[in-house]
Amino acid sequence: MQTLQDLILRLSEFWAREGCVLQQPLDLEVGAGTMHPDTFLRVLGPEPWRVAYVQPSRRPADGRYGDNPFRLGKHLQFQVILKPSPHNIQNLYVRSLEAIGLNLADHDLRFEEDNWEAPTLGAWGVGWQVMLDGMEITQFTYFQQAGGLELPAISAEITYGLERLTMFLSQSRSIYEIDWVEGIAYGQVRKQEEYELSRYYFEVADVAFLSQQFDGHEREARRCLEAEIVLPAYENTLKCSHLFNVMDARGAVSVTERVALMKRVRDLAIACARAYVESREKLGFPLLARGAQETEVADVAR
Amino acid sequence: MSRGEVLLEVRSEEIPARMLEPGVRELATRVFEELMTRGLGPKEVETGYTPRRLVLLLHGVPEREADRDEQVMGPPVRAAYGADGSPTPALLGFAKRCGVAAEELSRVSTDKGEYLAAVKRIEGRATPAVLAEILPRVLAGISWAKTMRWGSGEGPWVRPIHGIVALFDGAVIPFDLLGIRSGNLSAGHPILSPAPFPVDGVDAWRRELAARQIVVSPDERRRILLSTMQARAEALGGRLVDDPALLDKLVAICEIPGVMEGRFDEAFLELPAEVLATSLRDHQSAFTVETGTDGRLVAGFLTVMDRADDPKGRARSGNEWVVAARLADARFFYGEDRKAGLTHRAEQLHRLTFQEKLGSYAAKSERLAALAGAICDRLGWEDEREHAVAAARLLKVDLATEMVKEFTSLQGIMGGIYAREEGHPEALWQAVYDQYMPASTEDRIPRGRVGQVAGLADRIDTLVGIFGLGLLPTGSKDPFGLRRAAQGIVRIALEGGLALDLEAVAAEAAGLYGDRLKKTAAQILDDLRPFLHDRIRFVLERAGYAYDEIEAALVAGSADLPDLRARVDALHRVRASADFLSVVLAAKRIANITKDAEEKPFAESLLAEPAEKALGTAFAGLRTEVEEAAAAHDYERCLHRIAALAPALDQFFVEVLVMAEDPAVRQNRIALLQAIGRTVNRTARITEVVVDKAEARAKAG
Repeated sequence: MQTLQDLILRLSEFWAREGCVLQQPLDLEVGAGTMHPDTFLRVLGPEPWRVAYVQPSRRPADGRYGDNPFRLGKHLQFQVILKPSPHNIQNLYVRSLEAIGLNLADHDLRFEEDNWEAPTLGAWGVGWQVMLDGMEITQFTYFQQAGGLELPAISAEITYGLERLTMFLSQSRSIYEIDWVEGIAYGQVRKQEEYELSRYYFEVADVAFLSQQFDGHEREARRCLEAEIVLPAYENTLKCSHLFNVMDARGAVSVTERVALMKRVRDLAIACARAYVESREKLGFPLLARGAQETEVADVAR
Repeated sequence: MSRGEVLLEVRSEEIPARMLEPGVRELATRVFEELMTRGLGPKEVETGYTPRRLVLLLHGVPEREADRDEQVMGPPVRAAYGADGSPTPALLGFAKRCGVAAEELSRVSTDKGEYLAAVKRIEGRATPAVLAEILPRVLAGISWAKTMRWGSGEGPWVRPIHGIVALFDGAVIPFDLLGIRSGNLSAGHPILSPAPFPVDGVDAWRRELAARQIVVSPDERRRILLSTMQARAEALGGRLVDDPALLDKLVAICEIPGVMEGRFDEAFLELPAEVLATSLRDHQSAFTVETGTDGRLVAGFLTVMDRADDPKGRARSGNEWVVAARLADARFFYGEDRKAGLTHRAEQLHRLTFQEKLGSYAAKSERLAALAGAICDRLGWEDEREHAVAAARLLKVDLATEMVKEFTSLQGIMGGIYAREEGHPEALWQAVYDQYMPASTEDRIPRGRVGQVAGLADRIDTLVGIFGLGLLPTGSKDPFGLRRAAQGIVRIALEGGLALDLEAVAAEAAGLYGDRLKKTAAQILDDLRPFLHDRIRFVLERAGYAYDEIEAALVAGSADLPDLRARVDALHRVRASADFLSVVLAAKRIANITKDAEEKPFAESLLAEPAEKALGTAFAGLRTEVEEAAAAHDYERCLHRIAALAPALDQFFVEVLVMAEDPAVRQNRIALLQAIGRTVNRTARITEVVVDKAEARAKAG
């Protein structure tokens, strides 16, 4: 029997061995692991980077009060970034599946075209949804652009949906029935939270207050950009993005407003991306030298 | 003896299904063309692909290019010899470079004067050297629908490349493509047979892949998948539901064509077959199996797996688990929708935006009800009126259902199903069900009159609204699908035989928008008319009518489409007759003579010369007949009657001088011709008909 935390542990161990920084979740509300600064900002510029982490990801509109066995308003993603994407990336991915206990010789694994686009981040990439025995278990993306910037080094992003993968491996009929750890079900840990978050996002959230906060965080992000502190600027941008999602779930955003709000978030994200590249350039792209040394070592070893 | 055999296999990460066929076709065509221009055309070209490989096989390619002579231009003659006639250093240098004696050079005259030239023998290159230059260039230049970069910016190509086999009669054709060196190593399936293996030619390569169950030919995979699925469907007690687009996809997402058969709980069969089929197709790329003729499905599905067998049943249990979850989701939506009922869902339409400036779907529904009523009134369809108005109100309600939010491709169909289940009359639920028909040029129009009226009202409302905001489609940008909507209007009116003044209906539709539109009804019609004309041309040309026949009839009026087609058809039938040719020529003459003249009535009393009188009499007898025939839409009779005027017209133009000196006589003759011109153009503007010049000369002579 596969538990959720087995999966986290084995994936962490596997990718740590591939030289990934085992990062921790971002302590802010985000819609996907992609928005963690260790992905969104680190994929910019020429510096090499390898990171892996779990990211709780909130999609307020997907909340179902804990009633629907397949849908969550907040789920867990296991996110991996390898930059630049190594030549054997698909093979590494396949081995990561073996590391979580799958004997692939018994399964059907296919890569079907699925391109990714995040307009609010000015980002897009091409790649696949990975289908295991007919189930989508991973999003696999080669980033092509982020923050409206062309990328000099291409990152491969691998995102495993942890609940779904666990559910599939244990053939459970409901997300809430999967084991977090032996003896404690996912539902026992999170079901009440799903219910309360759904109530908040759909019924209780004060739209006027959210809207005020959106304006405030937008201002704050601009002030931070002026003060040339990129990470706080980006964190305030993420706040805006999440507030927009909540207002949207609450049904408080008209079509016109939707376009306008998304543009405001996008403008901030793009400004942060540019500021980040500039700040790294001022520092002389510090990780670049280290990457070069490593490549040399790897070449010698080969 | 050389077989001239080329094997090219490019292995990459999974190429999107939709790009494989065009990609390999472009590769083959470009390589073929490049070889042909060098006299290296192959006797046979074979292509193949899987998600992970592009394959090009050539047979009977010559071993080397033929040798050829090339003229090399040297110095001008005036610079080639000194005053004493001896060769200058320029001449000697050129001869030396070309490897010939100065005397062997020939003289060539050009528009810049006379030059010396050498003939240089160029030895043909060996084919592998030519291919080593052509193959990487063509491969890198394939115009993929979307390309990417990877690693430190390698690319662009469709996906990262992992290996290239390039052989000419077994020997490696050496080249580099985006950092990958060609060689003789292929590989099998990345999980089942990943170890690389060397090949020394096409035969060995085929053998090795076959041993790994990899089928490179898409046609062969299609044949295997289809026959296996058909046999399995029969074993399940039914037959495979036809879906060519889905089969194309399955062929393009495997290299080992294995069929995955799964079952689901019989209890899900309570869901409408359309829902089961859509969920299985959209989410699982799976075929359904039908029993009998009533569209009932069996509780099983068939799809592809990229392996030949499923020894531990993992692929099957995985697929069945996903399908069960998906169908449980669909059943939940179905239950919720039925619990809520269409009346309740209709109340939610005011929250769904049709278009930002054009308001909600609730407002659209009200407009559609009014417009459907007005269309029935115009057609005199009293019996259909009540159902048409009710159907128009229900038309968009399913957009608020959970099922359509999940499966947008079920819009219309789902509303029809729910309306049927709620006991609405057949004409009404079918109208809702069929509202998006025709969805393609092959699709049929809505089944009944009620559906045709509703479908027409919906499309006219959309076109008029969007045009009324000035958002005309441009180039390839048509976000509201207005071209398809216009095509739907044309086909419904034509094939349904809706004798209707469409421009009047469009004006009414504009009125129903109140003050939401930026443009007046007249402005909208001015924009809409040419837009609809394009669609009319397209539909009628497909029906086999000539361009000029359509143009001629369009100019004479395009508001009533069945009437328009009757006119085009009459023109098409009559145009070949000899008399008609005379009328065309006469009409062109009339048009020329009368083009700047004011419209005046003619007086029979002023007609003097015999030919003139004869024409006046012939025309008087004919005018009423033509009008009567036109009123009965019998345009063939119209044109035949007009053609009967030909001898009198010919006579008139031979014997009578229209531009008479007496202004009163002159004016009266012009007026007579004007009156004839109007009648002649009643069916179509005859002058638009293109006349074969030789034919016309023969006639005139």
